[in-house]
Amino acid sequence: MIRKLVTLFVLLVAVGLTAGSNEARAWWMWTPGDTVDDVGYKPTQPIPFSHSLHAGKREIPCEYCHSAARRAASAGIPPMNTCMGCHKVVATDKEPIKWLTEKYNKNEPVEWVKVHDLPEYARFSHKPHVKAGVECQSCHGNVQNMAVVEQVAPLQMGWCIGCHKEKGASIDCITCHY
Amino acid sequence: MTINNPESGKQGAAFEMDERGPVVFGPVHEPFERPAEKMVEGPLYMETEEVIPELAPLASAEEQKDEARKALSMNLDRRDFLKLFSATAVASSAACVRRPAEKAIPYVNQPVDFVPSVANNYATTCGECAAGCGLVVKTKEGRPVKVEGNPEHPISQGGTCTLGQAALQGLYHPERRKSPLLKRGNRSDLISWDDTYEMLAKDFAGKKVGILTNGSTGHRHQFYREWLKAIGSSDSRLYTYESNALYAAIAQAHSLAFGFEALPRVDLRQAKTIVGIGSDFLDVGVSPVFFAKNFSEARNLKSGSMVRLVQFETAMTITGGRADERHVIAPNAELVTLLLLMKALTERADVKGSANTKAIAKKILAANDAVTLGGYEAVGVDKAVFEALATEMIKNQSVVFAGGSHSFDDQATALQMAAIVVNELIGAYGSALMLDRGWMISPVKPGDLKRFAQEASGLDALLIIDSNPAFTLPASFGFSEAVAKIPVVVSMQTQPVETDDLAKYVLPVNHSLESWGDEQPAAGFWSARQPAVLATTDSRQAEDVLLWIAAHMKRSMPYSDYRAYIRERWKAVAALVDAKGEFDNFFNAVLRRGFVGKLTTRGNDSMRDVTGSVKAAKLPSAGTLRLLAPLDVRLNDGRGANKPVLQEVGDAMTTITWDSWVAMNPQTAKKMGLRRNDMLKVESATGTVQAALYPLPGVHPDAVIIHRGNGHAKHVSKISGENGVNPLALFAKATDSATGMPVTSGATVKVASTGKIFQLAAMQKHNDLANRRDIVKKLSVSEAAQKMMKRQNLDEVPDLYPAMYNTVDYRWGLSVDLTKCTGCGACQVACAQENNIPQVGREQINLGREMHWVRLDRYFEGDTNNPQVSIQPMMCQQCSHAPCEAVCPVFATVHDPEGINSMTYNRCIGTRYCANACPYKVRRFNWWTHRWNMIGDRLQDRNLRALNPDVTVRTRGVMEKCNFCFQRIRDAKHVAKVQDRKVMDGEVRTACEQVCPSDAIVFGNLKDPNSRVAQLRADGRSYLALGGDPEMKEYGLKTLPNVSYVSHVSHREGFSDSLHSEHGAHGTDAQQDSHGKSEEHKGH
Repeated sequence: MIRKLVTLFVLLVAVGLTAGSNEARAWWMWTPGDTVDDVGYKPTQPIPFSHSLHAGKREIPCEYCHSAARRAASAGIPPMNTCMGCHKVVATDKEPIKWLTEKYNKNEPVEWVKVHDLPEYARFSHKPHVKAGVECQSCHGNVQNMAVVEQVAPLQMGWCIGCHKEKGASIDCITCHY
Repeated sequence: MTINNPESGKQGAAFEMDERGPVVFGPVHEPFERPAEKMVEGPLYMETEEVIPELAPLASAEEQKDEARKALSMNLDRRDFLKLFSATAVASSAACVRRPAEKAIPYVNQPVDFVPSVANNYATTCGECAAGCGLVVKTKEGRPVKVEGNPEHPISQGGTCTLGQAALQGLYHPERRKSPLLKRGNRSDLISWDDTYEMLAKDFAGKKVGILTNGSTGHRHQFYREWLKAIGSSDSRLYTYESNALYAAIAQAHSLAFGFEALPRVDLRQAKTIVGIGSDFLDVGVSPVFFAKNFSEARNLKSGSMVRLVQFETAMTITGGRADERHVIAPNAELVTLLLLMKALTERADVKGSANTKAIAKKILAANDAVTLGGYEAVGVDKAVFEALATEMIKNQSVVFAGGSHSFDDQATALQMAAIVVNELIGAYGSALMLDRGWMISPVKPGDLKRFAQEASGLDALLIIDSNPAFTLPASFGFSEAVAKIPVVVSMQTQPVETDDLAKYVLPVNHSLESWGDEQPAAGFWSARQPAVLATTDSRQAEDVLLWIAAHMKRSMPYSDYRAYIRERWKAVAALVDAKGEFDNFFNAVLRRGFVGKLTTRGNDSMRDVTGSVKAAKLPSAGTLRLLAPLDVRLNDGRGANKPVLQEVGDAMTTITWDSWVAMNPQTAKKMGLRRNDMLKVESATGTVQAALYPLPGVHPDAVIIHRGNGHAKHVSKISGENGVNPLALFAKATDSATGMPVTSGATVKVASTGKIFQLAAMQKHNDLANRRDIVKKLSVSEAAQKMMKRQNLDEVPDLYPAMYNTVDYRWGLSVDLTKCTGCGACQVACAQENNIPQVGREQINLGREMHWVRLDRYFEGDTNNPQVSIQPMMCQQCSHAPCEAVCPVFATVHDPEGINSMTYNRCIGTRYCANACPYKVRRFNWWTHRWNMIGDRLQDRNLRALNPDVTVRTRGVMEKCNFCFQRIRDAKHVAKVQDRKVMDGEVRTACEQVCPSDAIVFGNLKDPNSRVAQLRADGRSYLALGGDPEMKEYGLKTLPNVSYVSHVSHREGFSDSLHSEHGAHGTDAQQDSHGKSEEHKGH
């Protein structure tokens, strides 16, 4: 048992140091299961949906598709009927749209890969932030210029608190951790 | 205030005196009090051994080889496994750089009214018992996550009981059957639903088919009758059965007396005195939430009403615990007691009631002359008590409730009949009892069980729907034998039960949260049931199954499904309430609101001569031990036993979880040389059960009490299987002749020790606050009335800290009214469901590791034969100067500017310093990652679907505690922010406040002087727990909690004096006697 514990301890310290070393924060801020900085995380999505085309070139407002952002904690990935609202008639000859239409007709959802992923113990709600007039871009970056969405903000606690302090918002632990 | 300090006399000079006695803590001019020199000896005791030390369990090395410890050692393997498992979990999470990519999967076609992560609520009707309470089911992303009472519903008025609150654990129960089962000999095969319909259609063709089902007040029974007719059987072959026999007895008595089968509706606000004769109206009764709400309103000092409850009982029930005056009567003496009361009433010239009633009463008394003459001694209550009570009952508007599950003997219907006569004599009908308008519908037809016993042998096939008579009827009733002779038995259940063993077909049917239906709890008042979720397993609605069978028999009914049937029947309801316009609009509006109704009235009947039914009342014979088997408040007749959350709530009076126990009078136990936790053998002519002893103050010396609910067969459930015992095994065949319901009270038993010790998982002493005098404060009504006039500021405490809460809009606070709290435990279940609190199992509870965020402390005071009971819900007090915050080395628990003592789980490193520092003992430590619900060595999956997505699930090594349902505060604040306003009073309701059937808990903003909670905190009756006595300039611990308690107010004679003087110095001789004894035992 002692050997097991020693191994575990060594492992923990090692990982702790690795995680701490590439970051400009103290080692004790790292907790097991926490994400390290994910800036630049840019997963491949099932179809090459381009925000730069939709939000940039076509200037569709963010909340047209992510309509839950002002109403709920989650901004909401738009349901497929939102996509199909336009794509029944728009660009129906493109391969990805054909794939999408086929999925839609088979009543199968698209499995997008989550880009901005907070740990389970941190609770974030879009609603009050939208209400307070925080631009989507301040956290998500200039999505309207991204062909493939990537994470631009570290989404770490220090980063949240920096803004909260600046704006005079609450920085109590229980605001996000409960 | 006198404090039991023997030195106080000698140090006279050190103490100032005021009108209440010496001031022990510092004179007034001193800004800070002196610390107490000695632990203050309080009047409260939590366990009997505090007054009778002989009853304490032994702790010698030899005796430690008890069963519980054996059970522990047997589980070491599993623990090693758990440790190893947790270690690997940590290692694997530490090794990866990024958590695995999560998928975000949207709807293909999102419903119009749906917003992701916003809850949708559905109004429906509870199906856990026959009371028909309205529910609002909160669903997140389509799955129910919380059940709440429908605040507009007149039956439940927003509250739910423990059972209703735990409905979700039934819905998501991993042991629900996944498919129909066909049994041939020893084989049992899974079959498809289509085959089931086909085979049953063949089996039923041209046969005498019967249905045995549970109680319902809606259209369900009517549907069964129509179906029986449609398939060619007779509609008289529907048998309704509820193990809560009170429904049948009351309905039968009213049927005999008025020719009208119903239950009177109650309005306790009309009453000044309630007399309970063996009544359990606050425990189980006929509609526990409705009665609790009613009782709470009748005990609202603020609105000027403070009803007095006088209870005569043998057992120590929740109802008795609330009583202002409680008399202990001999087992099965309820009818004689009621006759004695009737006699005292008729002897007065000013008795109310018609000449007819008076004549009937006289005749009844004449027929029972023998018992009423010498009854006082046998019952154990003086004649003067009845005479005084009769005077009070005639002077004030009063009402009598008689009978309950702990007193259901062969005279049960006679008792109800006598109660009707007495209620007529005091004029209760028409005021507190209503039989002429909006009366309550009986969910069962009285006499059905009797009919079933006679007719069962003639049936070719029997469907048993949502009922478990094989367990809830005593074995001696012969149910299994009768059913074994029926060739085709179909058991249609939501969960595996004992009755399945008797059946050829076992069909899984929908849970009430997956079903369509309706209930009519009161005449003209309809409550709709709609599914909150699609069936979670491959089950069907029972009524739809019947329709399919009929279709396969080529005898189709003209309905596509049960919803269509309900819709059709509701056209009559629409006509009843004069709904105008499209029926669809009406139906949808009802589903949205949950209910609709119109007051239905009928003429008053004069009472028939019922003397024949109340004759030859039997006097109880003294000196023999008699067994009472009440329904358990949490588990009911056993239907709740497979839900860990209910097992773990703990019985209100004993705080025992998981186990069955034998409750006996402490003095009787002492005489027999029995101690607490002694494994007893309880033996009757028909059987033997073994359970451990809990000496419970307030129980009659001749009574032995074992609750029903536990003792299920091993294969039924991993949770309830072979857990505890079923006391019904001890009852010989006996029924109440008028209803045919089996007797569950009064079996003669012998009790002997087996020589073994079994550690009962009682929680009371785990978090010990007793021996402090400022925990529970009690007031008499007159004192309370005076105090109410005074406003106070509990926060005015001399203090070195800077003022708090000056810069914020909100300061969250909670108030708990100890007068209203009954101890039912609904808040604990609601809290567990809302906050993802795990159940830990009896092993862990015996180690003191229960996880309740709110616990119910039960305190006895005074005589062990008839104590005063106080129940105190104790949750995190959210201290403004919290001792836990100061000791946390990592700032995991800190103070929120709005008054919440916040707990950051991801920061906690598990030192448990805070739990040590907490004077209220409300912090809970996760000794394990509760991936499972545990009972003994049996693991039960913790169903992830039932978790509340708004609350973090805690892992091993983390401290947790109540945070005032912060997720609800946050949601309300966000809503208010979007609407540019402040959160309004009542907008945030914590789970415990929402559920409370007695409205004892109020939550709100203390910064708003008009909020309900601020009003209550400023009320002179309120106090802070361990907050000393501010009037004496003594401020206790000065933790300055944001939770305040409203003192326990009672009409009880000398109720509050006991705080100021030696307890028991008032009261009767008997009390003084026993008090004298108890003082000796304390050995001071």
